[in-house]
Amino acid sequence: MSKIINNVVCPICGCLCDDLEVTVENNEIVKMKNGCAVCDAKMVHGYKSEERILKPLIRKDGKLIPVSMDEAIKKAAQILADAKYPLLFGWSSTVGEAQRIGVELAEELGSALDNCCSVCHGPSVMATQEIGIPAATLGQTRHRADLIVYWACNPWASHPRHVERYTAFTSGRFESSEWKNYMQRLKAASGRKKMEMASKRIARVEPPIKPKVCFTGPPPQMLEQKPGRKMIVVDVRKTMTAEIADYFLQIEPNRDYEVIEALRCLVTDQEIDVDKVGGIPIDTLRDVADAMMNCEFGVIYFGLGMTQSLGRFRNIEIAIALARDLNRKTKFVISPMRGHFNVTGANNVFAWQTGYPFAIDFSQGYPQFNPGENTAVDLLKRGDNDATLIIAADPGAHFPSVIMQNMMKHPLITINPDMNAISRLGDVVFPAQWCGIEYAGTAYRMDTVPITLKKVVEAPPGVLTDEELLSRILKEVRAIKIKRGEPVGQTEITPTHPDTTKPSPTHKTPAKPKQTKKTKERLK
Amino acid sequence: MITLTALRSFSVPVQAPCITPENFAGKSITEIKALPVTEGNCNVTLGDLFKLEQTPEETPNITLNGDLGKVKRVGQAMKSGEIVINGNIGMHTGEKMAGGKIVITGNAGGWTGSEMKKGTIEIHGDGGDYLASPYRGNDLGMKGGLITVDGNVGSDVGCHLKGGIIKIKGSAGRFLGYHMNDGVIYVEKDCDVRTGACMVGGKIVVGGTLEILPSFTIDSIKPKVKVDNITSVTGPFYVFLGDLSEHGTGKLFVNKSANSALKFYEKYL
Repeated sequence: MSKIINNVVCPICGCLCDDLEVTVENNEIVKMKNGCAVCDAKMVHGYKSEERILKPLIRKDGKLIPVSMDEAIKKAAQILADAKYPLLFGWSSTVGEAQRIGVELAEELGSALDNCCSVCHGPSVMATQEIGIPAATLGQTRHRADLIVYWACNPWASHPRHVERYTAFTSGRFESSEWKNYMQRLKAASGRKKMEMASKRIARVEPPIKPKVCFTGPPPQMLEQKPGRKMIVVDVRKTMTAEIADYFLQIEPNRDYEVIEALRCLVTDQEIDVDKVGGIPIDTLRDVADAMMNCEFGVIYFGLGMTQSLGRFRNIEIAIALARDLNRKTKFVISPMRGHFNVTGANNVFAWQTGYPFAIDFSQGYPQFNPGENTAVDLLKRGDNDATLIIAADPGAHFPSVIMQNMMKHPLITINPDMNAISRLGDVVFPAQWCGIEYAGTAYRMDTVPITLKKVVEAPPGVLTDEELLSRILKEVRAIKIKRGEPVGQTEITPTHPDTTKPSPTHKTPAKPKQTKKTKERLK
Repeated sequence: MITLTALRSFSVPVQAPCITPENFAGKSITEIKALPVTEGNCNVTLGDLFKLEQTPEETPNITLNGDLGKVKRVGQAMKSGEIVINGNIGMHTGEKMAGGKIVITGNAGGWTGSEMKKGTIEIHGDGGDYLASPYRGNDLGMKGGLITVDGNVGSDVGCHLKGGIIKIKGSAGRFLGYHMNDGVIYVEKDCDVRTGACMVGGKIVVGGTLEILPSFTIDSIKPKVKVDNITSVTGPFYVFLGDLSEHGTGKLFVNKSANSALKFYEKYL
């Protein structure tokens, strides 16, 4: 029997598209509408992976052996309680309710606590702490933005529905969609290409060598004359997003800071002594600055090309300063293109629990924050920790080899739904449910709007939610500490969704308040 | 003088803000041994980690020996006296220092001399990243005092500097003197990119090569420049003003002979 579930939230990227239509047959997703190709890959195929972990595993004599859940939890709690300085890392692909328990576990252990944003948009958070941020929700940009700048990001590949749902290709209340114009441009371009190919075949002329810096689209001064929304892409290479842009600015790698600094000078009417910055002539930059100043509502979306290239959080700081300067002339906002679906949630939950968004150290009994000192990569590079817990992340596939070597010197606990690179290396390997597919919870969109994920299918029997698993590990750690006579936290752990078979309480309609005699009389 | 020798090499970070001359003054060896420090998440005492000896000499007040790369916050908020560290030392050494002297014969970790107000720090090896820079999100940089480094320094040195002098005999990393307001930074060798970014005041003197940000404009050429009351460096030097995007009036003195690539700026003089 098939069942159609509407308004399902996609648990992949920071866009958190909430308009999916999912068809479920025999507790399996068979069809999905409205989602992008990345969403289809996970929601329809990926979550049914053959590599799915169904039982907890413990490494004995170099091999992973299936054990009972109780035994694995006891072993993991013992490892964590014995460690002098454990590291809890991951959190970006799990729900807010589990992250909350994670903070409590870190406090109980006196450990370091970090999330995936330290290797993606952590610099954006640090820059916000330094200078603040003029931000807006995606709804604002959808309805009002008439100039969209994508700086060092490629949403066509990483956030496929961002352009379609929130910026250039969507019909807002005050701005119309640019989709038709794009289609016309595409047809004209393909026609031009065919003509070029044909003339090349006839003339047999060698194709001209492409210049180092190439521009597509009309010259920027024409941007002012173009009606409707305008889209500028700034990147080091011509990406798919650059193909759909009205104007593409190809800058030299690692020169974002200099280009933005030059733009700031132009916006604040300062003279510049040099002719070129980052490979771009100053006259071109002046036209881009004019386009930025003459828009009604501008927005800059920036990606990892800026946060993880030379300068890191200083790049973001200067980009925010540019948005601040532009706000003296017009309305301008800036926003990061967050990657994993709940990495913003990890920052938010950690921040309201501890005061800090990531790179937290509980070793002194109270939270201390210092990226560079407590961030996972720096900490592991120095070899400071003596046990690691990885949840809802795969550093095995992404961290540098030196860091992984240091991580492997000490016991490793992993919590992931399938056998990914880090699970294969673990000493205690826990199975997990796919959040947003097999259990409900809260996730934060890239503009920090919380959205409730839906449960679509039932999880395999015996597999716990991240929240329940962490609660049980925390309980066991406290039991070990009580045995040793050490003080423990007082909080009672009450998982929000203890029973996975029942629908989550967030979906329950609240009970009507009982009417007293007085209210009845008033109503009469 | 109290000599502390590490009993073993530490595997996890040790936070020892209690190692200051003020804390040790007037205390017996047994009292000093009982001072609290943390090793990872464990609360231990100084005596558990270090061998303590007392000798009659008066200066330096404290000497540290052994592998101390993971020992953090030594000399935090010290006001007087002298600490000598034989070897490398971990992060946050001499943080919020208000007087006295720290001598490090090896390399220093990050955030050394952070938010320092007065006193002297001598580093005979390399200085780390964020030397004399404030805590994250804070704009209260070093206010006074002197830091000398014989080796090289990392990135983001002297951020939000509000006073004092930093002298570096080697090279400096990127973002030297970021957002500095006052004070002097003197680098004898080369600087990485983005030196003096967002500076609004103060002076940076560079003896080696340098890349100038587009938001700096040339002011003049000067034959020599004064670093402090004792030191003045002979050039000639290009003088750049910036950072224009912050409406700043900071001065960047760049050695003319080492930077032939900047010759085109002379046409604006």
